[in-house]
Amino acid sequence: MQVVKNIYKPVTADILEVIDETPTIKTFVVRPRQPIGFQAGEFMEVTVPGVGEAPFTPSSSPNVKETIDFTIMKVGRVTEAIHRMRKGDTVGVRGPLGKGYPLDAWKGKEICIVGGGVGGAPLRALFLALTERLDDFKKILYCYGARTPKDIVYKKQIMEEWPKIDPKKVEIRLTVDEGDETWKGNVGVVTTVVRDLGLDLASSVAVVCGPPIMMKFATFKLLELGYPESSIYLSMEKNMSCGVGKCGHCMLGEYMVCQDGPVLTYDLIKDKPGIWD
Amino acid sequence: METHYVSEADFIKLLSWLENRGDLYVASREDDQVSIKPFGEVGEFTYPGVRAYQPLKPLFFSLLEEVAEYPTEEEALREIKPFSILGAASCDIRAIEALDHVFLEGQFKDPFYEERRRKSLIIGFDCTEPLETCFCVIMGNNPYPEKNFDLNLSKIEGGYVVEVGSEKGKEVVEANKEIFKPATENHLSQRDAIRSSVKATVEKQSKEFKPSGAWREILAKAFDDSAWARNVETCVECAACLFICPTCQCFLLYDERAGDRYKRLRMWDACAYKNFAKVAGGANPRPHLVERFRHRYYHKLDYFPKNYGFEACTGCGRCIVACPGKIDMRKVLKEVCKS
Repeated sequence: MQVVKNIYKPVTADILEVIDETPTIKTFVVRPRQPIGFQAGEFMEVTVPGVGEAPFTPSSSPNVKETIDFTIMKVGRVTEAIHRMRKGDTVGVRGPLGKGYPLDAWKGKEICIVGGGVGGAPLRALFLALTERLDDFKKILYCYGARTPKDIVYKKQIMEEWPKIDPKKVEIRLTVDEGDETWKGNVGVVTTVVRDLGLDLASSVAVVCGPPIMMKFATFKLLELGYPESSIYLSMEKNMSCGVGKCGHCMLGEYMVCQDGPVLTYDLIKDKPGIWD
Repeated sequence: METHYVSEADFIKLLSWLENRGDLYVASREDDQVSIKPFGEVGEFTYPGVRAYQPLKPLFFSLLEEVAEYPTEEEALREIKPFSILGAASCDIRAIEALDHVFLEGQFKDPFYEERRRKSLIIGFDCTEPLETCFCVIMGNNPYPEKNFDLNLSKIEGGYVVEVGSEKGKEVVEANKEIFKPATENHLSQRDAIRSSVKATVEKQSKEFKPSGAWREILAKAFDDSAWARNVETCVECAACLFICPTCQCFLLYDERAGDRYKRLRMWDACAYKNFAKVAGGANPRPHLVERFRHRYYHKLDYFPKNYGFEACTGCGRCIVACPGKIDMRKVLKEVCKS
């Protein structure tokens, strides 16, 4: 009998490690029992057996083939259940789904990345994918904001390792909404560090991922700085349920975000009802 | 397309051939209502004349079904028996065309829908007794099927003109050669006369609702129209209009424990429900009922045509009949057109 691929069935994956990133965010390193490749920005549906699925964009480098990292904030039913899981437990993984970042089209360009909170997850996959082929890009500016210093994800990497990758080509700017006694950096929302970019806007693209309100104001800031609408890449968060363009939950205007996105340029979606909600 | 003539007496032979082919569903007229039933329950075929009260979509996309079991090895998907639908109205055939785009196009095909489409034989018919709520003609459709069927029946004196619309339909003719006679000029002119007269009836009752241009262009200027808020007042959020709609295909996936494994189920869902598009983080693109009400119209008449080139409203009028708040899609659109 012909075996037809069942698009609704997850692949079993073993949790190899659970990393506490912040009080509400953990990274789960999983190894799928069947190989699943992905491109930065593509997402997957992660199943907690018996509980259900939720969409997450991997946060590890797409060049790492054996394992996939998912950085997950505890916000709802499925994510609460995931947060209770430990090393050795199994989850289901379905994907990759949707369209990610068009890295090949960005060759030779300067990339300005603006992220906030757990939005740092897909952006880490992107940052790693870019810096692992750094010869292809002119410059990478990574701006990231968190609520407090405790809420910064991948703190060690972002503060100690990434600035050393290639100081001429890779710049990291961090900010927090509220500092504490240890914090010596910028205080303010992420848009306060999105200025004096030192980039040639004509040959630059911008990437935004974070909570809806942050995405909205970061996009407006980038427009104000002169980025064309078609050069601003947004990672849209909608209710991607089936992930395969059928169930209708994630519609944004005529787009099925799960298939036409989740990465969409601002010019395509700027007039769509509910874009920032 | 090739056409034949089958007499009423010979048509009975075709019924038994269809019964042997697999499951047979017929649109059956009882009193004033037509419904889709297994042929075994009805035992005979009477020309339905108009669409059934329920849509055909449950035959291709179940109200509730298991779509996966995990964790298991990749298993073969369940195969289903061939089945035939005798009595698909033009609007319902258009609806299947719409569902085909959603379930079979793009990077991923829905394997359950695909299997049912592969096993189905669709026999359409010309409407002869349109309902007052029928408005196919203002949705770019006619009360007689013109494409996407396997066979189509047009009732004429003493029998049917049978049009062949696909390879599958051709196979039915090949297998029943003795009953398919040549359709004569007279047969065809009878058919065409009935078609024109029925079309004229639907056009007449739809005249006041006829749009001033393409729906897409009208809706492009109508997003902030006060007609949406005015018309949503009697909506009780029951979603009957969506469940009865032949093209609505939204669904919900949910998981359950099944012994030492788990199963994933798929159930019809509706964009009229408040949390339909809400994400876990709390954001909801359509928190107000009026936004969800409007979304339905935009999906059918703006978003779907942008993606697939035609309206996802077939003008079947089922939503008008089903609505406890007496919301009439035609009247809503008429108000939108006016302003």
